[in-house]
Amino acid sequence: MEDPKLEHQQIIAALVAQRPEKIAETATTHWEKLAGEIILVVGQDGFDSLYERSLHLAQAAVSWLPPNPSAADPNSQHFEELGKHLVNQAPADAWAAHSLLLTLFANILASLIGDQLTASLLRSAWAMQLQSQPAKELDDE
Amino acid sequence: MSDKVKINRLQTGVPGFDNLLGGGLPEFSFNLIAGTPGSGKTTLAHQIMFALARPDYRALFFTVLGEPSLKMLRYQQQFSFFDHLKVNESIRFVNLATDLLEGDFDHVLSRIAAEVKEYQPSLVFVDSFRSVVQSARFKDRNAPELQRFVQRLGMQMTSWQATSFLIGEYEGPMNDSSAVFTVADGIVWLTQNTHRNSMVRKMQVVKIRGQAQVPGFHTFRISDDGLRVFPRAIVQPNEMVGGGAASGRVSMGIEGMDEMMGGGLPAGYSLLVVGPSGSGKSILATSFLAEGARCGERGVIAAFEKSPNQLLNKQLQELVSAGHVGVIDTRSLDLSIDETLHDLLQMIDRMQAKRVVIDSLSGFELALAPQFSEDFRGSLYRMVAELTSKGVTILLTSELEDRYTDLRFSPYNSAILADAILVQRYVEIAGQFKRVFSVIKVRGSDHSKDIRLFDITADGIVIGDRLTQYDGIMTGHPKIPQEQVHEHK
Repeated sequence: MEDPKLEHQQIIAALVAQRPEKIAETATTHWEKLAGEIILVVGQDGFDSLYERSLHLAQAAVSWLPPNPSAADPNSQHFEELGKHLVNQAPADAWAAHSLLLTLFANILASLIGDQLTASLLRSAWAMQLQSQPAKELDDE
Repeated sequence: MSDKVKINRLQTGVPGFDNLLGGGLPEFSFNLIAGTPGSGKTTLAHQIMFALARPDYRALFFTVLGEPSLKMLRYQQQFSFFDHLKVNESIRFVNLATDLLEGDFDHVLSRIAAEVKEYQPSLVFVDSFRSVVQSARFKDRNAPELQRFVQRLGMQMTSWQATSFLIGEYEGPMNDSSAVFTVADGIVWLTQNTHRNSMVRKMQVVKIRGQAQVPGFHTFRISDDGLRVFPRAIVQPNEMVGGGAASGRVSMGIEGMDEMMGGGLPAGYSLLVVGPSGSGKSILATSFLAEGARCGERGVIAAFEKSPNQLLNKQLQELVSAGHVGVIDTRSLDLSIDETLHDLLQMIDRMQAKRVVIDSLSGFELALAPQFSEDFRGSLYRMVAELTSKGVTILLTSELEDRYTDLRFSPYNSAILADAILVQRYVEIAGQFKRVFSVIKVRGSDHSKDIRLFDITADGIVIGDRLTQYDGIMTGHPKIPQEQVHEHK
């Protein structure tokens, strides 16, 4: 992937740089935190349409990602499904796919509401996860 | 002993709006921002929110159905007041669409209450309230339940020690959802009216408890900086039209003219200069401004007949370049008188101007949105009153079709607005069109009754002879009376 240039891309790069062993749980946590923040601001429908679109775009590069979720299912089910698919892949591929999906999601959001506001929402969503990051990783970008 | 509650008034950050509200928005008030789609409700709410919100004075913005939040955030960011740094730090957006779709008012209320309790905001916005009402209809709820919901929400909002706003789409301020109108402390009503091909935005503070709002509809514009309101000028009881706040006389800068006016134009007066096209009204106006500059009095001109780039004449151009005269931009064709007055007052204050020229009333009327033309005379009256109360002396020019069968001074019956009137005419004498003028009126002052010839030369207006030997000058065909003809023989 290209070097992250925009602030929201740098935040995602820093978030996924840790790569703990349990990718499924980590990815689910990332998405649940993100969903909580985004749904608060743009509503469930807003989040669903963004998630669906980013999954659709990601599938062009990563064919093994889960199919588009049904809007009727709760988000937790979508993320669980995503986790199951990630855990079956080699760690490097799984992390790359997770990073891609998050980046696509944030890119679409940023194209609608701008990089700064998107970055602010991401920081708010992953405050705890980013806190546990060494500060250097963000600075390095 | 007085233990009356002192209500803190918030400055909304919307230029002109605080004046309309009677000094600002009462803190802890529960307000309704209502209007038709596209009238600027959300923009007004956001502008107020971004102006007031800070880390120790936080705002909570609930979005219900209606405009999707993503779009709202996308488009509201285009305004200069949208400060993304305040989002999350001082402003929190909460989407209630899902809660509303469940159709349970109690749940919506408790969700709002829970968010307020957790975030402890000083400002609360619910946008748009209309969708709550529509949702209720869709679900065939009965009106009492809805009214109860609105009243409970209103009561909740009052007890939160927060200034709160419901933003809603309504066709008119007095329709069926009257419960909310009763409960609200303040109601702001926004409209956009089209007339022929122009669109004008108007705002009315229908109600505001505990303070006197400026009544009636007032125009506003939405630009990149958000809303700007132009409160309609209203003649105050102690405000006189003409000669209110100034004393002394001002010179017209034309040799002989001051004498004809009884010693110059009384300061703070409005002078109406009436004449047909090309008779020299703008030249007279320029002399008036140039004389002001010579005496150290700055001037302001609203020139409606030419664009600022092709200013009337070289002399005026020089006055503008030297900073003696300020020019009001009058290019737009959907102006309101109040907007022009606002611009004039702003420039008068900035330049400490003493003289104002409006050239011409005919051009001014053309520049206005059609619906304002209908009340041109009334608005003009208010404008003249507002300007003269500031002590400035005004010269208004007015085009007059040169009809020789009747004697009129203004197409708008605006003669009664003016404290002084000067008429210019063309007359035919000895096979030539000559220019004549006369001072018709200078309120409360003696003045010349002569009709004088005048010429326009490279040095400006030069006053000529009296036409005492002629009769019927204003018919355009002066005649020497028979007895004088016989005497001549």
